[in-house]
Amino acid sequence: MEADVTISLNKGVADPEGSNVKKALNLLGFEEVMNVRTMKTFRIDLATNDRVKAKKDVEEMCKKLLANPVIQSYQIELR
Amino acid sequence: MPCEINLIDADDLRLVKISQEAQLGLSLYEMKRVKKYFFKKKRNPTDIELQSLGQAWSEHCCYKCSKSILKKFIFGIDAPQNILVIKEDAGVVEFDEDHAYVVALESHNHPSAIEPYGGAATGIGGIIRDVVCMGAQPIALIDPLFFGPLDSSTVPRGVKHPRYLFSGVVAGISDYGNRVGIPTVAGMVCFDEGYVGNCVVNVGCVGMVKKKHVVRSRVKKPGELLVLVGGKTGRDGIHGVTFASAELTDSSEELRGAVQLGDPIAKEPLIHACVEVSEKGLLEGMKDLGGGGLSCVVGEMALAGGHGAEIELDRVPLKDAGMVPWEIWVSESQERMMLSVDPKNLKEVLKIFEDWDVPATVIGKVIDEKIQRIFYAREKIFEMDMEFLIKGPIYNKPFQIKTVERKDAPFEEPEDYNEILLRLLASPNTASKEWVIRQYDHEVRASTVIKPLQGVLGKNTHGDAVVIKPLEDSYRGLALTAGVNPSYTKIDPFWGSASAIDEVCRNLASVGATPHSFADCLNFGNPEKPDRLGELHSSAEALGYVAKALGTPFVSGNVSLYNEAPHGSIPPTPTIVGIGIVSDIRQCVTVDAKNEGNPVYLIGETKKEMGGSAYLKLLGIPSTTVPVVDPKALQERMGALISAIRNGFIASCHDVSEGGIAVCMAEMLIGGDVGARVDLGLIENMRDDYKLFSESNTRWIVEVKRDLAEEFEKAFEGILFRIGEVGGNTLLIQNDDRTLIELSVKELRDAWSATLYDYMG
Amino acid sequence: MDTNDIRVAVLLIEGTNNEQEVYLAFKRLGADPELLHLKQLISKKDLSDYQCLMIPGGFSAGDYVRAGAIFAARIKSALRKQLMEFAENGYPIGGICNGFQVLVELGLLPALESKMSDYPQASLAINDSARFECRPTLLKHESKGNCIFTKDIPYQEVVLMPSAHAEGKFLFPLEKQDEYLQRLIDNDQVVFRYVDTQGNYASYPWNPNGSLYNIAAICNLEGNVFGMMPHPERVFYRYTHPDWTRVYKENGDGKAIFESVLEYIRRKF
Repeated sequence: MEADVTISLNKGVADPEGSNVKKALNLLGFEEVMNVRTMKTFRIDLATNDRVKAKKDVEEMCKKLLANPVIQSYQIELR
Repeated sequence: MPCEINLIDADDLRLVKISQEAQLGLSLYEMKRVKKYFFKKKRNPTDIELQSLGQAWSEHCCYKCSKSILKKFIFGIDAPQNILVIKEDAGVVEFDEDHAYVVALESHNHPSAIEPYGGAATGIGGIIRDVVCMGAQPIALIDPLFFGPLDSSTVPRGVKHPRYLFSGVVAGISDYGNRVGIPTVAGMVCFDEGYVGNCVVNVGCVGMVKKKHVVRSRVKKPGELLVLVGGKTGRDGIHGVTFASAELTDSSEELRGAVQLGDPIAKEPLIHACVEVSEKGLLEGMKDLGGGGLSCVVGEMALAGGHGAEIELDRVPLKDAGMVPWEIWVSESQERMMLSVDPKNLKEVLKIFEDWDVPATVIGKVIDEKIQRIFYAREKIFEMDMEFLIKGPIYNKPFQIKTVERKDAPFEEPEDYNEILLRLLASPNTASKEWVIRQYDHEVRASTVIKPLQGVLGKNTHGDAVVIKPLEDSYRGLALTAGVNPSYTKIDPFWGSASAIDEVCRNLASVGATPHSFADCLNFGNPEKPDRLGELHSSAEALGYVAKALGTPFVSGNVSLYNEAPHGSIPPTPTIVGIGIVSDIRQCVTVDAKNEGNPVYLIGETKKEMGGSAYLKLLGIPSTTVPVVDPKALQERMGALISAIRNGFIASCHDVSEGGIAVCMAEMLIGGDVGARVDLGLIENMRDDYKLFSESNTRWIVEVKRDLAEEFEKAFEGILFRIGEVGGNTLLIQNDDRTLIELSVKELRDAWSATLYDYMG
Repeated sequence: MDTNDIRVAVLLIEGTNNEQEVYLAFKRLGADPELLHLKQLISKKDLSDYQCLMIPGGFSAGDYVRAGAIFAARIKSALRKQLMEFAENGYPIGGICNGFQVLVELGLLPALESKMSDYPQASLAINDSARFECRPTLLKHESKGNCIFTKDIPYQEVVLMPSAHAEGKFLFPLEKQDEYLQRLIDNDQVVFRYVDTQGNYASYPWNPNGSLYNIAAICNLEGNVFGMMPHPERVFYRYTHPDWTRVYKENGDGKAIFESVLEYIRRKF
C-alpha cells in the first residue's frame, strides 16, 4: 500500500520559505496571493497491506527521520 | 528502433521541413550538404545520424559562424605560461613549478531565461565538469550575470520579469555552488534594458592540478575502452544545443524540456572519483558530457585522438526505459563524464568508482579507422565518417562594422552634485551587491584570502578582485575578477570591449596581482544579421588588440550567439574573466580606506570620456565618447602600481570605473568608515562634472601609508596626482576653492547599500 | 598522550564538503586526523580507535528532509551504542555547521537530561531571511568553563568566525522554550552567542539566522559534545579573517577551538 506523509511547520513557527515563494508568485503577477505555507509530502510505497502495521511503521519513520517535533508536525494518509 | 529518413529523394522544401520537424536546426545549405554525403553512400540516413549532425553542426558545438573571427583575433597569443590553451574544454596555465590552474567560462543564457533556477544550476554543474575533466580540483566559481532593469513595469509576452529571473538565477547558483562545496567568489551583476528578453548568465570555474596529472579530452590509441561514468541518461535536456543556437521566441517556454536538472550531491562524489583516477594515472583521456551529450563527446574525443569509435548504445544506463536510440544519443542529462581507459586499467578504474558509489559502464571502444559506428540491439544504426560528422561547416558570413562618430551632446552643468552622487550610488549597477554575494558561500575551502566584500566589519564595500590561496604550503595566490560594461559596448563595440580588458586588468592590479590570462564569453545576437556579426567582429578585434599588446593570452572561452528575442538583440556582451598571480598573498591590498592622515593619489589621466558613463545615463544625455584604451600606458601603470603594492607603500587601492572618481572615492570610504578631503584642481581643462564622473580607463585611486609617501612618489614614475588625504567622517571633494561634494560617509553608505534589498527583499 | 598520537575521525557522507578544512586544522597542529566515510566507519573501523570525532559542514545527503537529518538517522541506526559510549567516556565530539545540525538531530545536543535523547530536543530551522547567509559573525564566549572546545578562549571574549548556512536558527519547542533555555543557561551549556561589534546581543545581520537567545554554539552537560553554526576552521590563519588587511592578529580566531580540544585530550587520556 501507499502512504502519503505530509510534514508541515507547527503553528507559530516562522516559514521563511513560504513567504519567499509568496514574494516570487507576486513577482510573476499573481497579486492575489496573500499567504503561502510550505508543506512537504513523501509518498512511500510499502510492501504490506496491513493497515495497522503500516500506520505504526510510518509513524515511526516520522519520528525517526521525517519530522523534527520541535518545529514540525506530520499527517499520514494511507491508501 | 531507429527509422530511416528519406533524404535522397527530398526536394529543397522537404529538406527544410525535415530539419524543422526533427528540430535539427540545420539550414537548407547544410541539409543539402548532408543529402550529398548520403547520396554518395547510396543510402538514406537514420534519425539518429541526422540528430547527431544537428548537434555537431550547431553553433554551440562547432562555432561555424564565429570560428574564423576568433582565429583571426583571439586565438594564438603566445605566452610562456600557456600549457594547454583554447583547444579543449578548459585552458591549462602554469601556476608554479609543479602546478597549473585550469579555467573555463561558458554561457547558460537560454535555459536560464526559460527556467532560471534550473538553468543557472546546471550551468554551474557543466562548468565544474569542464574543469574536472582536465584532471583538476575545482577551487572557485565566477558568475557574471546580466538582466533587464529591476524596476521594469511590464515585460513583453512570453518573457519573465527581470526580478524573477534575477532571484531564480542567484538561488540556482547558490543552491548548486554551495552544495557542491566550491566557493562562488567573483562575478558581476548588470542591469540593462537590452537584457529584458534574453538574460545573460555566464558561469566560470577555476581549478588546480599538478602539471603531471593534466588529462586530455581525447583518446590515445585504438583498443581503449570508453567508460561512461556518473548519472543515468534520461529525457532531460534533449536539444539543449540547438535551443542555444536559435533566437528565443515567445513560445520558447514550450521547450522547457531542453533545460536539464542537476544533482549537486551526485556531482560531489563524481568529482572525487574523477580526480582520484586521474591522479593515479589510470586515464588516457576524459571529457565531460555537456551540450549534445554522447553525440558530441564520443566524436570529439575520438577525432581529437585521430581515431574513430564503436558504441553499443544499449549499454548506456537509462532513467527511462522507453527512450529511443537518438534520444539516448543526444540527451544532455547532467553529472556524466566520459573516460578513455586502457583495458589493463579498467578493473582499477571501476573499483574506484564503485568505492565512491558512482556508476561506471563501458559503452564502447576506440577503433583505428576514423569512423563512428553505433550498434543498438546488435544492429548497426549509425555509420559516418568522423571528419564529415565533427568538422561542421565554417562560414565567413557577411558582417557590417559599426562606425562610431565620437561626440557629446551639449548640456548644462547641474547645480547639486551631492544629489547626483547619491543617485549614482543607489543606481542598481553601482549599488551594493551584498544581497547576491552573501547568498553564495564564498569562503568554503577556507582559501579565499581577499574576499568579495571588504572593510570594517559590518560596513563593507566591493573588492576589485578576490584572491585565493590554492596551496597549503605556499603563499602564492590566484586573483580573479570579471568585467564588461554593456553601456559602452552598445555604443562602441570596439572601445567598449577594449575597456573590458582594461577594467579586468585594473581590478587585478588593484589587489597587487599581475594579469596572467583571460577567459572570454562572447554573448552576441543573431550572426546571420550582418550588423550583429559586425559587433562580434569589432569586439573580438578589440579584445585581441589589447591582449596581444599586453602579451596576456586568452586561454579559454565560449561563444553564445542568437541572444535575441523578437524585440531585439542583447547589447554586445564580451564577458571577460581575468586571472592574475600574486607572488605572496600577505602583500595584498583591499579597497577600504584605512587610516586618517594618509595621502590619497590619483594614478592615470582623466579625459573627457563620458560615452556610456553612469553619469550621463542618469541624466539621460546621449554621448558616444566611450573611453579608449592605451595598452602601453596600461602596461606601465599596472607594473608601477603592482610593485608599489609589493613594496608595502599602499594602504588601500580602488580602480576608477563606473561613476568616475566620485563613486570610486565614495566606495573606498564606505568600506573604511572614514572620510577624506579631495581636491581635483590638479586635473586640467575640464568642467567639474567631467572631473568627477569621467570614466577614462587605466586609473586608480590609492591611499599611501603616510610615512612612505615620499618614497612612493619617487618610485612611482607615471601620471600621478596627489589629490587629498584620508580623515574625518565626510567625503569632501573640491575643485580649487569650490566645494563640489560634501556628504557624510553614513549618507554615502545608506544610499549605496539599500537598493537591491529594496527590490528583492 | 602526545599530540601526534591523537587520532581524530573526520566523519563524512556524500554532500559533506568542509572535511578538508577540518582535517587540515588538526593536521597543522600536529595531530593525526583521518577522513572517514560513514560507510567505512560502520564496516571497517572502530570508533574506539579514535580520541575525537568531528562532523564537518556541508550539505550531507543534500540536506534533503531537513539539514543533517539523514546523516543523523544513518549514524543512529548503525552506531548509536558506540557513539553513546564514546561520549560517556569523555571523548570529544564536535559538530560544525551541518555537523551541529547532525548532533541536534541525533539528540546528542543539547541532551538536557545528560544522555542522548531519543528525539531531537531542539531544531536548527531555516534562517529568518530565508536565504543562505555567508557573513562574518562575532561571537561572545559564554562558557564559564564547562565546554572543553573553548578552554583557550577567555570568558566573555568576542571572537570572529564566519557563518555560512541557510538553516541555523536555533529553536526549542515553543511550549517548552523558556524552561529549556533556562536549563541550558543554568547548566553552562551556552557556549557562543552572536553579538555586534560593541559586544551587544544584536539582531540581524549580527544574528544571521534569528536564533533564540542569539545562540551560535552549545555543548552538552559534560562539555565534551559541542556544536556550533559558524566555522572556526575557516579562520585558522589570520589572513582568512575578512578584515585582516586592517586589523592585525597573530592567529586566526578559530585556531583556539582546535588547540583547546587537543589540549584536553592530551591531559585527560
